[in-house]
Amino acid sequence: MAGFPRHWDFDEVYDSLDRGCGDFIIDLRAVMRELAPGATLMIASRDAGAPLEIPAWCRLTGHRLLDVAPPFYLVRKMET
Amino acid sequence: MSSTFCVTITECKTNGDKATLGFVVANAALGSEKDTMVFLSADGVWAAVKGEVDKIDEGEPFAPLQELVEKFTTNGGKILVCSPCMKKRRITEDMLVPGASPAGGAALVEWLANGSPSVGY
Repeated sequence: MAGFPRHWDFDEVYDSLDRGCGDFIIDLRAVMRELAPGATLMIASRDAGAPLEIPAWCRLTGHRLLDVAPPFYLVRKMET
Repeated sequence: MSSTFCVTITECKTNGDKATLGFVVANAALGSEKDTMVFLSADGVWAAVKGEVDKIDEGEPFAPLQELVEKFTTNGGKILVCSPCMKKRRITEDMLVPGASPAGGAALVEWLANGSPSVGY
């Protein structure tokens, strides 16, 4: 995958293509559940709603949005 | 912030778009770690009926309704189906999809009275 900020460090990548809303979020939860607490996930989302949707999802779940460079989002999984 | 969420859906055959959107939002709530319940009433009950739910497909960008419902239940979502609405349409419990249960208004009222936000379709 090309185009994400080269200084980002992450453990896993999830490319949701252009899927949005619940179709995307329910699968994002499943991906995050497979990661260890504190692990970082780079999400690629080309859905037009993603700039608002992903920060909202982080606030709801407690995962930390570390950085944003649409269509890329860097998220750290909540510690237990 | 509430840890629960409720989506009420009153249309399916009459408006597949609304049933589809209801389950898309329910999956967003579930995916956001909310204990989520979908309450189906009136025509919306058809969304939980085997052989009927698979008839609704709004097309891109939405997944077929059956896929949305299955994803919701297999991820722990609850579906309650208005029992008098079922009876009116001669729908019996054995006709419901796995994960859906008949329920009355008290079950909905209890869920909401415990502080759950809700959205209706």
